[in-house]
Order: sequence, then structure tokens, then C-alpha cells
Amino acid sequence: MELSKEQLIEMYKKMVQIRKFEERVVKLFADGKIPGFVHLYIGEEAIAVGACSAIEPKDYITSTHRGHGHLIAKGGKIDLMMAEILGKATGYCKGKGGSMHIADVDLGILGANGIVGGGFTIAAGAGLSAKMRGTDQVTLCFFGDGASNQTTFHEGINMASIWNLPVVFICENNQYGISLHQSRHQRVADVSDRAVAYGIPGVTVDGNDVVAVYEAVNEAVKRARNGEGPTLIECKTYRHRGHFEGDPVVYRSENEFNEWLKKDPIPRFEEKLTEMGVLSKKEVDEINEWAVKIIDEAVEFALNSPEPELESAVRDVYTDIIEEVRK
Amino acid sequence: MMPEVHASGIIEYDTSGGSKMAKVGIIANPQSGKDIRRLVAHGTVIDNLEKVNIVKRLILGLEAVGIEEVVIMPDTFCIGERAIEDLGKKYSLKTKTSVLEMRIEGSQEDSQKAAKIMAEEDVGCIITLGGDGTNRVVARGCGRVPIAPVSTGTNNVFPTMMEGTIMGLAAGVVARRLVRLDEVCFQSKRLSIIKNKKEVDSAFVDVVVCKDVFVGSRAIWDMNKIFRIVTTRGEPTNIGMSAIGGFFHPISVFEDKGHSIKIGKGNLKVKAPISPGIVEWVDVEKFEVISVGDSVRVLQKPSILALDGEREVEVSENDEVSIRLLRDGPLVVDVNKVMNAAVNKGFFTA
Repeated sequence: MELSKEQLIEMYKKMVQIRKFEERVVKLFADGKIPGFVHLYIGEEAIAVGACSAIEPKDYITSTHRGHGHLIAKGGKIDLMMAEILGKATGYCKGKGGSMHIADVDLGILGANGIVGGGFTIAAGAGLSAKMRGTDQVTLCFFGDGASNQTTFHEGINMASIWNLPVVFICENNQYGISLHQSRHQRVADVSDRAVAYGIPGVTVDGNDVVAVYEAVNEAVKRARNGEGPTLIECKTYRHRGHFEGDPVVYRSENEFNEWLKKDPIPRFEEKLTEMGVLSKKEVDEINEWAVKIIDEAVEFALNSPEPELESAVRDVYTDIIEEVRK
Repeated sequence: MMPEVHASGIIEYDTSGGSKMAKVGIIANPQSGKDIRRLVAHGTVIDNLEKVNIVKRLILGLEAVGIEEVVIMPDTFCIGERAIEDLGKKYSLKTKTSVLEMRIEGSQEDSQKAAKIMAEEDVGCIITLGGDGTNRVVARGCGRVPIAPVSTGTNNVFPTMMEGTIMGLAAGVVARRLVRLDEVCFQSKRLSIIKNKKEVDSAFVDVVVCKDVFVGSRAIWDMNKIFRIVTTRGEPTNIGMSAIGGFFHPISVFEDKGHSIKIGKGNLKVKAPISPGIVEWVDVEKFEVISVGDSVRVLQKPSILALDGEREVEVSENDEVSIRLLRDGPLVVDVNKVMNAAVNKGFFTA
């Protein structure tokens, strides 16, 4: 499948939108406007965008604690996301979930997840559901290198492989599980090596190259829709920020950081698109301004939104049980 | 003394039969065999732990023929360190083993840098674990040191599927110059990529001109995206794009010839294994045999040149690019010849 000019521009716009969103979250967090933790996606934008460009609106994703990028790439509403992160009643979870619990089932976003490795079995479940309903929906399951050591990795992938479920497991190997370098938390250097244990294909791609990610996920999605089962794709990448905002990042060298900064996925893609004549410098500037404007509007919406009411704390926690208890 | 190569491609060797060079280098690429062809084709899966096992067997083979020292490229998976550590638990090796002290980037430049250091350290042979792509990078740095390539990649023409123990024995025999190099090695051909009058890269099996404009996931697998294939060789036992030439007009490593094949509707169709497990009919519009010294101009622009199976060189509208066939590639060990020569000389009998 060839990528059209429109698709390439759309991919670039999404990457810029994620970057601008996260940069604004950095500022809002520093200003003390955000309750709770935030884990930012800066530097990894090529993965969410490359992967979500290979699926359709009807398909599903499961996300992680570092989920803003996935949600935006899948079409999540920026204003509702921002309101949720700022803990406002207009947010996706009515201001009660925060960054790590945003979901939009109508858009196929089955949720960010505060539990490391929490997405594997949800993705397998979504895959099973699609298979039982006889649809050709595919689920993308994003996770990190650290999550690949969780028991749910085994459970989710094993189940998906034995039942031939239409799931693509996408490892965002950003080299660190919190502050622990990958070489200190697992004996394999390539998470894709683990695919062989489940009898499924495993490939490794440059996670900072949006087209490389797109190509691999596109092929895996074709397999999944064709009933050939799951695939494990490892995308090598690097997060520019710490594990969470406020992390002093004392565990990695400046040298290492600078080397990865040279591979920043957005300037790389931008350079290629301008070189190809897909975008002019002026259009690049316009896209950046457009992205900032959307974020400005989202922040304004969020800041002007009401706080959740105290009594709403127990609402939406359980379905009917609370009402029954009240009775 | 390393062999001298004349313009004719004839190699002159040190024929003293001396065994003074008893050091061997090993370059194991931790990234080989993990590309997208495991999805779009049925590429071999060799994980890094198996590469550790292969390196162990190589070292044991090398020790058996009296190699004094083995140096191994460092890598992100620590293949060398693991092999040395594992062997140390079981054996007390006479062969000194170590990992080169060099900074690693986790990129293909590591292999090139390691090959250069090994050549400077006068190793008698470099064993590679990887595919065509790995050997292409090693060849940039190894100078005139013979390469003994073990296949752990996907579409492999340059390296062979060979048991590590045997490759260790053969590389050791070569490194000690126990046999004449001109009898057991061959000089490979090379495709030089000239972009705007400057050589920018090389390939040792094939160059594929692709319709892609992105390097992306690097591999090539879709015949609809291919304009032209230029090869140094192609035989009916090959896999990959060079097989297209090999399946109707075989050219061996020894002939001073290559293929230039234009893909598209024409009078010829070839059934060839273009990727592991994928044998399909390919339309050939035009086919030429080229000779060493000939150049093929790249007319399709923009395009990407895939070198030995990996998209590498971008060609824009304004670039002038040509592909030139030369006989100045790396020396490659022919394992069958080495082992037969060694057996005939009685090295393995007492």
C-alpha cells in the first residue's frame, strides 16, 4: 500500500499535534496545574502515528501509562483529554481518572492504563470479541520494554496466539523501565526475540521512523485481518523526558540523550517531506501554528471547565451497586 | 603479509605457509534476522541466544586448529561476553578470547568499525554472523582480510548456512595460512554506487532500484515496487532478488559478469524465489549481461536503491546515479575448499 501525499501530511500533523500537546503538559505540570502524575510521549510520536495510520476507525487500541500519543493518534478529542488531565468535570473521565485512565470506546480507544502490562489481556479480549462477532476488527496493543517482563505479557500473547486472534502487539522499547536500562531488566536485547516462544512472527523496526513503523504494522494488520493471528513488533525508540514529569533522570548520560536527540522522529520526517516537496517550509510552519492553536483552545476549554463535584467521587465507580447500596 | 590485488582481479598471496598469524576476529550482528521479512515472507528466525551458541562453537573450532587469540566485536546483547563466560565455566581454553574495546552505537557502523580495528590488529580472518547486509558493512572496514561468513540473516547469498564448528575450523586454517589463500578464497565482485560523481556506497550481491521514496523498514519484498535489479552474481541455488537472474541465466562468483534486469511486462517470465518461502513469476522487460567495468545508470527518479536487500540510498530528481560492477570486493573463504585442502594436507590426521 502506497502512502498518498494526504496520508503523509496527516501523519506529520498528528506527530506535531502530539508533540505540542505534550510540551504544553510539561508547562502546565511545572505550573502546578495538573493533579497527579503524567508520563510524556515526547520522542516516541512516530510509533503511535505510524501504527494508528495502518488501522481504520473501527479498530481498537489498548494504551499505557504513557498514553497521550496513542489517544491523539487514534482520534481522541484534544479538549476532553486536556480537561481530564487537568482534573475537570468536562474531561473524558469527568476529571476523576486523570492522564492514565482516558478511554473513548466509541473511537476504539480501550483505555490508557495505570497498570504496567495491563493492556495485553484487554487486547486479547478485544481480539476474541472481534473473532466471536465475526468482524474483521484488529486491536493494536501498545506496551513498553518493562511491561514485556510482566506475567500479562505471557498470558495475553499466549492466548492471542493459541486462538489466532487479530491483535498486533507493539513494543515501544524506549530503553528504560522507569530508571532501569533494558540490559539490566531482561536477558534479551530485542523484545521481538520473545515472539518465537509463542509461535508468532516477531520483527524489530526503527521506532523513530514513522514510515518504518507504518510498514511493519500495516503488514501485521493484513495478517490479522486475514485470520493469520497476532504479530509482535518491537519499535526501538527513546523518551526525551523522564519516566514521569519531575523525574530528575539521573540514570542516563547526556551523551546518550544527545545521540537519540539526533534521531528525533519529527525533524527526520519533516526533512524528508520538505525534500520530497510534499510540504513547503511555509506549510510546516502553518501546521505547527495550527497544532498550537488547537492546544491553546483545549487548555482554555479545560481551564474554564468546572471542577468535579465532591459527591461525584463515588459515581461511575461501580455500575449499579452504589445505587443499590444507597437504597 | 596480506594478499595484493591486481587490477585484473588476480590475487597474489603470501605463500610462505607460515602460521604466524593466529588471531581471528568475530563480528556477530545482534540485529540480523529480525526485519520485516518475518512478516511478509518466512524468514529464518535466529535469536541472539543462538548467536551466542554459534560463537561458542566457532571459538571451539578455532581452538582445535591452534588459533592463539580470538577478538569479538562488542554489541548491545553482549554476544561475545556471554560466549566467553559460558565457555569459561566448562573449559580451560588455550585460545585467548576477548571483546574488542570500542564504543558501540547499536548501529551498523559498529560492524564496520570493528572490522577496521580487527584488520589493523592483523587478524588472519574475520568470521561474520549476519546476512548479506551485515557482510556489506563488514566489507567496508575489513580491507584485505578474508571474510568467513556464517548466515544468520534473511535473504542470504553472500554468507552460507554453515555449522559454527566447521566455520571455526576453516577460518582457523585460513588465519594460520596452513593452506594457500589463492586456492581456498575468492575475490568477490562489488557494485559501486556513484552518486553525483562520488562513490557513496557498495553492494556485493545486488542493487535493486525501488519505486519507494522512504527507507522505512529497509527490506524489499514487493515486486510491484521494483524497476531494475543489478547483480554481481545469481545462481539457481540463491534466494532473493539475485535469484531472478540466476533462474534463467546463472552467473557465478567467479565470472567477471553480472546481471542488469529491467522488471516489467516483456517477453520473458521467470519463476524465482524472491524471498524465503516466496516463489513467484516475475515479468522481465529487458535483460542484459554486464561485464566488470560496466556501469548502469539509474533512470528512475525519485527512487531508493536497496543494497543487498536493504533500502539505503535515496535518489532524488536532481541526482545522477550509476551502478558500476567491479572485481574488488572482499576476499571470501570457500569453506569446502579450505576443509578439503586441509584434509588433503593431513592436518586432521595423526
